[in-house]
Amino acid sequence: MNIEIEEISKDFGTTAALLPVSLSIPSGTLVALLGPSGSGKTTLLRILGGLEFPTAGRVLFDGSDATGLSVQERRAGFVFQSYALFRHMTVFDNIAYGLRARPRKSRPTTPEIARRVTKLLELIKLPDIGARYPNQLSGGQRQRVALARALAIQPRMLLLDEPFGALDAKVRKELRHGLRDIHDTTGLTTVFVTHDQEEAMELADLVVVMSIGRIEQVGKPEDIRARPKTDFVREFITA
Amino acid sequence: MTNAMIIPARRRRLRSATSEPTLVKWLLIGLCLAVLTVLLFAPLIAVFDEALRRGWAFALASLSEPDAQAAIRLTVLVAAITVPLNATFGIAAAWAITKFDWRGKAWVITMIDLPFSVSPVVAGLLFVLMFGANSALGVWLVANGFPVVFAVPGIVLATLFITFPFVARELIPMMLEQGRAEEEAALTLGASGWRVFMTVTLPNIRWALLYGVLLCNARAMGEFGAVAVVSGKIRGQTTTMPLMIEMFYNEYLSVAAFTMAGVLALLAFVTLTLKSALEWRYADQLAATHRH
Amino acid sequence: MAVRSFTLKAPTPMPGWGLSFGIMLTMISVVVLIPMAVLLWRGFVDFGAAAMWDVVNRNRVWNALALSFRAAFVASLFNLAFGVLLAWVLVRYRFPGKRIVDAAVDLPFALPTAVAGIALTAIYAPNGVFGSVITQTFGIRVAYTELGIWIALIFVGLPFVVRTVQPVIEEIDHETEEVSATLGASRLRTLTHVVLPMLAPAALTGFALALARSVGEYGSVIFIAGNLPNVTEIAPLLIVIRLEEFDYDGAVAIAIAMLAISFALLLAINLIQIWSRRRMGAV
Repeated sequence: MNIEIEEISKDFGTTAALLPVSLSIPSGTLVALLGPSGSGKTTLLRILGGLEFPTAGRVLFDGSDATGLSVQERRAGFVFQSYALFRHMTVFDNIAYGLRARPRKSRPTTPEIARRVTKLLELIKLPDIGARYPNQLSGGQRQRVALARALAIQPRMLLLDEPFGALDAKVRKELRHGLRDIHDTTGLTTVFVTHDQEEAMELADLVVVMSIGRIEQVGKPEDIRARPKTDFVREFITA
Repeated sequence: MTNAMIIPARRRRLRSATSEPTLVKWLLIGLCLAVLTVLLFAPLIAVFDEALRRGWAFALASLSEPDAQAAIRLTVLVAAITVPLNATFGIAAAWAITKFDWRGKAWVITMIDLPFSVSPVVAGLLFVLMFGANSALGVWLVANGFPVVFAVPGIVLATLFITFPFVARELIPMMLEQGRAEEEAALTLGASGWRVFMTVTLPNIRWALLYGVLLCNARAMGEFGAVAVVSGKIRGQTTTMPLMIEMFYNEYLSVAAFTMAGVLALLAFVTLTLKSALEWRYADQLAATHRH
Repeated sequence: MAVRSFTLKAPTPMPGWGLSFGIMLTMISVVVLIPMAVLLWRGFVDFGAAAMWDVVNRNRVWNALALSFRAAFVASLFNLAFGVLLAWVLVRYRFPGKRIVDAAVDLPFALPTAVAGIALTAIYAPNGVFGSVITQTFGIRVAYTELGIWIALIFVGLPFVVRTVQPVIEEIDHETEEVSATLGASRLRTLTHVVLPMLAPAALTGFALALARSVGEYGSVIFIAGNLPNVTEIAPLLIVIRLEEFDYDGAVAIAIAMLAISFALLLAINLIQIWSRRRMGAV
């Protein structure tokens, strides 16, 4: 699914978190929103997911206006930095949550849910942890469970907020490849937020560099590295 | 992309993912206020309404009766003995529990909490059994001119039992959270034990202590069941304010009963005001559960 | 370490051990431990378990015990539901007078029970403000019936669930609710399947506290109850009546029965707690 962001702006009270920004994301790309904290990258991601509403502007999914769609209707697989796993549910129940929440008409049968959850556990390479609770998992395992839970609803896109932010350096490297693999297998348009330029450059097809509510540059990692458009970009990617 | 037309974002009113529809919100607020009105506010208003049924002068006159005066004095006396004892116990227990590692802590904490789950009437019964006319100790004490039951010491003991956890329960979580580092630092600087307590610990726990003392005092002055059992309800001698309320009420002296109740309600009002002020002002210096 | 485990206290330079431990132990002994021991001794040794059973196993006593626990249970259930709702409203919503309402929740802690008792009786009596309306509309009486006991016990136990649940709601991560919405769950489903289970352990703690408090409640109940034997006579009142008849053994037997049932209930609730906490991890 391709995503069009048209002149989206967002004010929180009197402060502007996003100046009008526009961006076009082709279907199936893996996009990094790169910038320091306060650059509006998380706000933009949350607007895509339907968790925040823009003050002005539109979002188009495959050409049709999605600005007025509620969070539930957007079917965006969203992974939070904290993962926000449900502590009182097993890994299995966490992943099955979105399927069970569907209205009765479109809800899969119990065996079908079990089959899909098992497949997702295999996809994240943790086939045996279905019966565990989140507090019994390592940080890396939690991240992958959060990813599987987001994928379970057969999302139209995958949105991740600092997906590696809470992990130590070694696990971070491993999981980068994990995310790349999952993206390549599913073919989903994927947007992730990061403040780590190395992570963005290594992982993404398209990097969007942001500073205080503005998009500074959009391009392939090698182009941005070779031809930074502004001083901000140059400083940020060499920092 | 120079699309000059900026289209208003919300064609449909969207709600944040973490809130309820406005109508539901106001219905729930309304429901809560209605229940609280019927259960909390109405009784409070009723106290003053009944007390002032025949005017201020009449109400105040009932308070100046000798029996009423004696009840007020006794209640103040009991609180004046109980609260400092309880505060001392609370500080000692919190110090022993939070500054040292020893075995059996869990049992001691259970013992401190025990009075919470014992009926006030049973609390009174405990001291009647220990010091009453049918115990050897009680008989001996009476023979030597120191009656406990049907006298002030019994009332104090029963009140102590009822209010036992108040200060300790406030200080223990607070002091656990603060740890021992500051006291240890003071010790390495050469301060004596007493000095460490007065200059390091006490300033850190003073608001939590005041909070506990406040609640302890409110309960001490208002205790009914436990005191009713041990006091013998001798008019003018062992009748506290809550017991006096019952007597007036049973004698159909409605204005006198509700006026005395009004005095205790004012005390509750002052307690709640101070308590809220502490919670808002010194939230960081109270046990975590009181921080709103 | 093996040696240390045989000593009572680990060595430390912290001063004041003797003094603080001494005061603590003396007070616990005099105020709680010895009196409780005397009660149990009187009951089990002097009077005997069989004799106590004879006292308790009579209709009037059974009825009083059943009434006390039933009414406490009903009132605490009400407070469980209402307390969670009120805590939610106080933490999540804004409305005029919120601070006052928040402070007023603790009124039952601060208001003496005898005051609450006569005040509730005044408004719920057949000629009271609410009592007369209720009697005329529904044809039922509140004061001097079991319904009146429920009202008094709801009053007494009101703050417990609110105060245990409030801090937990404050700490709920908004992201947990948001993620539920992104997975397609409606707001209602998020509340029932995600939020409520997170509040359950704290709510249960509040329920247990309210139950313990209202089972033994005396002051606020006796005014509104009517105190008719077998109908509206609560167990604590029966203890008082036995004492007034100088029937100490009878009073002891009923007191021990109350304590035993209370502790069995609290133990059961504690076990549920441990079970649910273990599932959620050490929180």
